[in-house]
Amino acid sequence: MRRLVIGGAALLGLTACGSGMQGGLGSAFSPTWQNDGGKSIGALAQRIAKAQLPVGRGLAVGVTTSGLVVIGLDGSAKWSRAGAVDARPAIAGDVVVATGGGRVFALDARTGKPFWSLSSEGRSLRGAGDDGRVTAVTLGGRGGGDSVVIAVDRSGRELLHLEAKPELGAPAVLADTVLVPWSGQYVSAVRLGSRDETARLLLRDKVTRVMQIGPHLYFGGMSLTRFDDRIDQAGANRATQAVLPTRPLPGEPRLIDDGTRVAPPVANARDSIHLYARPAADGAHFAGDRYAATYYRIAMGLAVDSGALGWVRTLPAPVLGGDAAEGGFALCDATGRVWLIGAEQGTDAGSVSLGEPVQSCVVSAGSFTVAGGKSLGSLAEQVEHAVELDDAQMVTAQGFLLERLGSLSDPVVTKVLIDLASSTRTPPALAEAARKLLAGRRSGAEYMLEALGREYDFLSDVLRPPPVAPLADALAAMDRKDAAPLLARHLNDPADSPEDIEHAARALVKLASPAELEEIRSFFSLYRATAERPPLVAAVIAAAETLLRIGGAEGEKLVRSAAADPLTRPDVRVGLDGVLPPAKTTAAESTAD
Amino acid sequence: MKRNTLARLAILTVLVSGAGWVPAASAAPKAAKAKPKAALDAAALRAELESGDEARMLAALERVAEAGEAAKALTPDVEALLRRGASAKVIRAALTAAGALRQESSSAAVAPYLRHRDEGLRRGAARALVKTGGTAAVKALRAALRSPDAGVRGVAASGLGALGAREALPDLFTALDRRVDEAATSIGQLCEPEECEKFAARLGKLPFEVMTSGFDQILFRAPEKMSDDAKLRIVDRLRELGTAEAGKFLADVAGRWPASWSKRVKQAIDAAVKATGGGAEADD
Repeated sequence: MRRLVIGGAALLGLTACGSGMQGGLGSAFSPTWQNDGGKSIGALAQRIAKAQLPVGRGLAVGVTTSGLVVIGLDGSAKWSRAGAVDARPAIAGDVVVATGGGRVFALDARTGKPFWSLSSEGRSLRGAGDDGRVTAVTLGGRGGGDSVVIAVDRSGRELLHLEAKPELGAPAVLADTVLVPWSGQYVSAVRLGSRDETARLLLRDKVTRVMQIGPHLYFGGMSLTRFDDRIDQAGANRATQAVLPTRPLPGEPRLIDDGTRVAPPVANARDSIHLYARPAADGAHFAGDRYAATYYRIAMGLAVDSGALGWVRTLPAPVLGGDAAEGGFALCDATGRVWLIGAEQGTDAGSVSLGEPVQSCVVSAGSFTVAGGKSLGSLAEQVEHAVELDDAQMVTAQGFLLERLGSLSDPVVTKVLIDLASSTRTPPALAEAARKLLAGRRSGAEYMLEALGREYDFLSDVLRPPPVAPLADALAAMDRKDAAPLLARHLNDPADSPEDIEHAARALVKLASPAELEEIRSFFSLYRATAERPPLVAAVIAAAETLLRIGGAEGEKLVRSAAADPLTRPDVRVGLDGVLPPAKTTAAESTAD
Repeated sequence: MKRNTLARLAILTVLVSGAGWVPAASAAPKAAKAKPKAALDAAALRAELESGDEARMLAALERVAEAGEAAKALTPDVEALLRRGASAKVIRAALTAAGALRQESSSAAVAPYLRHRDEGLRRGAARALVKTGGTAAVKALRAALRSPDAGVRGVAASGLGALGAREALPDLFTALDRRVDEAATSIGQLCEPEECEKFAARLGKLPFEVMTSGFDQILFRAPEKMSDDAKLRIVDRLRELGTAEAGKFLADVAGRWPASWSKRVKQAIDAAVKATGGGAEADD
């Protein structure tokens, strides 16, 4: 055991193991604590919640195979540090904290200059906070357990060292008081140099992190509860709290990482599937009513209140980390580029690069503001771009985006859906989803007609027919009679699927005029005895209905002849009998009766 | 290479026999295939075609196909059958019969089957149209170059040459560039000197055996239809190519060159054969 310094007094082997220490509320992390209804935490808030915390300038830290690479979000102060790390680093104000090589160390975020380095005693970093003078750090075993919280000043003096049986989460330090979440529901306040709690907070929501966002501290787990003069009412759910509504999103992303676990130095799927949101000034809402959800290479901007999709960005590599800034988001991808994205429209506000691919990435927006940026087209175009990504890993998010797209009434959405359904680049499952959505569209008929005008054409490189079935359904629902000639032509196009032809034939029952008679008659004649699949049989019967409606006496004669012809397929004949009107009796027959 | 070329020419013969020029190398005595034909009872056959009995209809259509143009009186009946539709078997036989009847009027009734979903019917229609000919056939076959069915595209490409459809040349060039190889033969049949040059410019870009199927047609066009100068330009290109396969092809051409045709072209071919080593014993 090494030498420990608490509050300037030299102590040897001083640890707190969850019990046996007295003073204030008693020993830190005691399981015998009696709920004080927010009294102690309220008193602490009165005393220290308004203390000034330094706000970092906005930083991204990447973990590479050889060490750390760091850059300011404004592109300034790029530096690196050689030496492997064994856990995800933490950014605390203007300090970068990491563990590796058996040490826990703090670096000046602006320069990379070491502040201090101590033995980690085999533990790895869980989280850190800093108040500009002292850094609080929680460490633990990589597989859990072995929790300890330390507080160290810039000179490397250890001002606090508390080991605990319960799992400790990511801490903060403010006005000589360390705030440590633990066991998922408590936050204990321990003054530097002491081993006793001065206050304890019991939260109804899970809490594993104390986080500095802007000038404020928040207790985070499922939601963000601000440490302010209402914190004493947390037990009654009346604290200042920002809650993201739970919505089905691809991969079920979470807003706050579990601070009681050691995040590995190499990012995993949970890092690429993540939510980012920044509390508004009142602490009870989210800035701009906007949050971002990432799914590997796709980032989406969503409205907090309605869940409406606002924008979509498709990035060249999976997102590994990020943060919500004022005015937007900073998302770091596996190439080491940090993308700055406007919150409202998803504008491209530029990027900064860590200079090399990273295994994981931590971003703290601090005081950085994302401003301006260029538009990346309409939402429909942004979704189209994302959905066209030829990456099997993206299919879940792509399906989600398609669904959202379908809910927009903008006629351009129809065009995008047609393009997706027609493109050979669209994954089959998504093409099918696009077809379903198209069938339900009631706007953008002009795009539908344009698409129906296309046919397979080997010489012109049109090698996939349009999505005739959903277009037929939608145009019939919209009663677009100008679609009839195009649909009629598709009846006789061998490149169309039997299902497409069936839907075209059904739409023509409603839409066709005598101008389409020739195509329909030709289809009926060619297939009444050769339709080998049920959709074609259905199409022939639908064509017969149309012939009876628009074909006059000639049409009826044709259908009757087919119904009587032994060469007509039996299933077609049954269908024809169903649609044919009763034969008119002749005068002679009537007389005989 | 020679075997390959001859095989292609043989296919062409099947497609165009009776509808145009037949390469000398593949011309077979037609008389050998002729069979004695019984007198046709048109009225009886007509009744069979309208019987609605598949077996009887098939038998009647076979009779019509065998009789060929001699059964011309039944053309309207076959066309009516195609228009009203029937089972795939019957339609296949009707298309064969329509082709055998060789009546231009049938093209309109045959053409819709080029777009039928049944591959056999599509291809049967394409073959029939090459025989029935006329404006409607050319129009349908040009459209068929755009078909999703490679077989139909191939027959259409061959057929357009056989039908002398010069207006289809732009489409045939596009089709050739998209590897409808059969278009090469038709281009060779239809091109004027400038177009033949355009075709020849593809030498080296398309497989040699595809190009030779067109060159063969150009070189063996009758002297009044293709100038010696145009033929010499083709020979020069092949000589410049200088490959063994070019030499073999030219040697084959030299061997088939009609004695009464241009001596100047023949001398150029012989010189090119010598220059390319094509006179050596073929190793295939």
